[in-house]
Amino acid sequence: MITKSNLYRKEKVYGYLFILPPILGLLIFTLFPFVYSLYGSFTDWDGLGQMNFIGLDNFKDLFSDELFYKSMYNTLFLMLGIPIGLVLALLLALGLNRKIPGTTTFRVIYYIPVISSLAAVSIMWNWAYNGDYGLVNQFLEIFGIKGPNWLMDKDTVKPALILMTVWKGLGYTMLLYLAALQSVSRSYYEAAELDGASGFQMFRNITWPMVKPVTFFLVVTNIIGGSQIFTEMNIMTPTGGPEYSSASIVFYIWDKAFKNLQMGYASAMAMILGIFIFIVTLIQFKMNEKSSFDGD
Amino acid sequence: MIKKKGFAITMVVLLLMVAALAGCSGGSSSSDGSKELTFMFRGGTDEQKAYKEVIKKFEEEHPGVKVKMVVTAADQYATKLRAAITGNNLPDIFYFAPGDVKAYVNSGVLKNLTPYIEKNKDIKLDNIWKYGIDLYRYDGKMAGQGDIYGMPKDLGPFALGYNKTMFEKAGVPLPDKDKPYTWDEFIKVSQELTKDTNGDGKPDQYGTGFNVQWALQAFVWSNGADWLDESKTKVTIDDPKFAEALQYFADMQNKYKITPGIEQSQTLDTYQRWMKGEMAFFPVGPWDMSTFEKLPFEYDLLPFPAGSTGKSATWIGSLGIGVSSKTKYPDEAVELVNYLTTSKEGMKQLVDAKVQIPNLLDMADEWSKDTKTKPNNKQEFIDIVNDYGRSLPGNYTYNAEWYDIFFTDIQPVLDGKITAADYVKQEQPKMQKLLDKAVEQEKKSQK
Repeated sequence: MITKSNLYRKEKVYGYLFILPPILGLLIFTLFPFVYSLYGSFTDWDGLGQMNFIGLDNFKDLFSDELFYKSMYNTLFLMLGIPIGLVLALLLALGLNRKIPGTTTFRVIYYIPVISSLAAVSIMWNWAYNGDYGLVNQFLEIFGIKGPNWLMDKDTVKPALILMTVWKGLGYTMLLYLAALQSVSRSYYEAAELDGASGFQMFRNITWPMVKPVTFFLVVTNIIGGSQIFTEMNIMTPTGGPEYSSASIVFYIWDKAFKNLQMGYASAMAMILGIFIFIVTLIQFKMNEKSSFDGD
Repeated sequence: MIKKKGFAITMVVLLLMVAALAGCSGGSSSSDGSKELTFMFRGGTDEQKAYKEVIKKFEEEHPGVKVKMVVTAADQYATKLRAAITGNNLPDIFYFAPGDVKAYVNSGVLKNLTPYIEKNKDIKLDNIWKYGIDLYRYDGKMAGQGDIYGMPKDLGPFALGYNKTMFEKAGVPLPDKDKPYTWDEFIKVSQELTKDTNGDGKPDQYGTGFNVQWALQAFVWSNGADWLDESKTKVTIDDPKFAEALQYFADMQNKYKITPGIEQSQTLDTYQRWMKGEMAFFPVGPWDMSTFEKLPFEYDLLPFPAGSTGKSATWIGSLGIGVSSKTKYPDEAVELVNYLTTSKEGMKQLVDAKVQIPNLLDMADEWSKDTKTKPNNKQEFIDIVNDYGRSLPGNYTYNAEWYDIFFTDIQPVLDGKITAADYVKQEQPKMQKLLDKAVEQEKKSQK
């Protein structure tokens, strides 16, 4: 009996040791900053000196802060790229799932933006969008269209950013869809074919439900990622764009915290953003539960 | 029992790690026992190279001291520094903006350099630009007086340059370096030099192309207006003189067409156009001298065109070099700051690298008289520092949010969609509100 308990004890210690690093990481790099920031959101901390507790003042100020609403709206607007990206990627994946020559090359081409550095990609698109010599406008000129100065105009800066983020994320989304498509058993399609189902019917009743878990995963991660979009605008429109029209919420948080000595206020915004992401994700999980595919 | 013990171990490890993280700040001894200082700075490639050389020399002259350099991209510098302060992980020596002196002193980030400077007989404060040193003085209430919390890395007088070759080719008389153009004259000359040289119907040589954020000041100030009043607590952009200057600035593009149009107005463009020799006038900072050395044309400096005051105006930038209040080796750290800012040897190397004007008055005098190197009229840089250069408005306040928003919202004015008069009226209350907040924050930080 004694040996057994010793063994058990030893194993238990090793077990804890093995899970210690990630738990420590979580505590130090996630939980601690989170609690710190939560406390900070109730103070007037400037990021340098002492913190004075001011209760809910930061949150009260937020509700009358025009730029907070603006950057929140911008962030949501930029998320229009998510459905566009999903549809495009699924179509691409369907195309590349066929047994035709050259698909590997195309897969690589679509995946290159994913592995490229976001900063480098942003600088490249910055040139492409230049109103004067940019690639985009030169292309439009072929059709006799005079393109705008994309990043300097408050009406075009957001669509321009959406186009870029869709392009950047396409390869990743496509790859996941491709994997999902390839895991769908051929026998479903064969059975449907025997029943005389059309291509569209097969897509609607077999493909779409079968890739649903992937769609769900992508929607959730894209919305979380989309809420935190920052690098693109920081490089392409370093002042937040004309009239702050391309500033995302994280950009505004960064602006307040690191440029304007209002760490407490920025923390309050970060809390609101966190709550927002939490609620949206919760809703998605609930919706997914309701309509989940039972054939799985 | 086991459970409790495990928990205790976890807590101890955690505490150790936190302690280790907190202990990262400041200087440390390197493995061979010498004193190691970290120096965080930023700058263009030529500037970085120059600083590396100077620091190598410093290490040679100060055995036992090692300097670890941390270089960041210019636009990330402020963020990195703030993050280092917040994380209690500050380098021993670092650049900081003069506008941050108050905040950093009030929160105990910067070391007071005065006692060290007084102790050091090699430093002659009266041989350094007074303007430059005053930028880093603060007595706890007013900036510009009291103890010294940093030394100016340099002063960056923002002068106006012109393409001499272009003037000569077009047969336009060269500008007088002592008498600034009036606004009307400036437009006239610029229009003469705005040309379609390849006959495609679009001009490809322009009078100028200013970036509003860095060039509007020259026009506003020379017209007798400003962003702030004397007390630095009131936003004064609703002054008609201000609107007049802003309108003039916007008209350069929309009415007089002497600058690239809306589509071409991105900053990158105008800088590159100037470098390619397609622009008659363009602002030149001392940090550009090494780059402009290789320009395919001759250039020189002249004063900015003068508005209704009849006097030219422009700003002087500066970065301070400060020492962390938590450094382990204050003597060595201050020594390095002095080497970089006030020593003859250090200064000579930096000036020779053409990345800045001299900090030392006697050296500056000699330097400006040397007409063999470009630009010929270096005296203009010195005049700006001595006579008429000013600090950027955002430097006077606890944060520059109120000032930044002015430029964030300005695009419609530049595009000619709204008038300057309407803009200043609509923008003043917005800016005032943010300024009030900054003033309030400053008061809080003082106690």
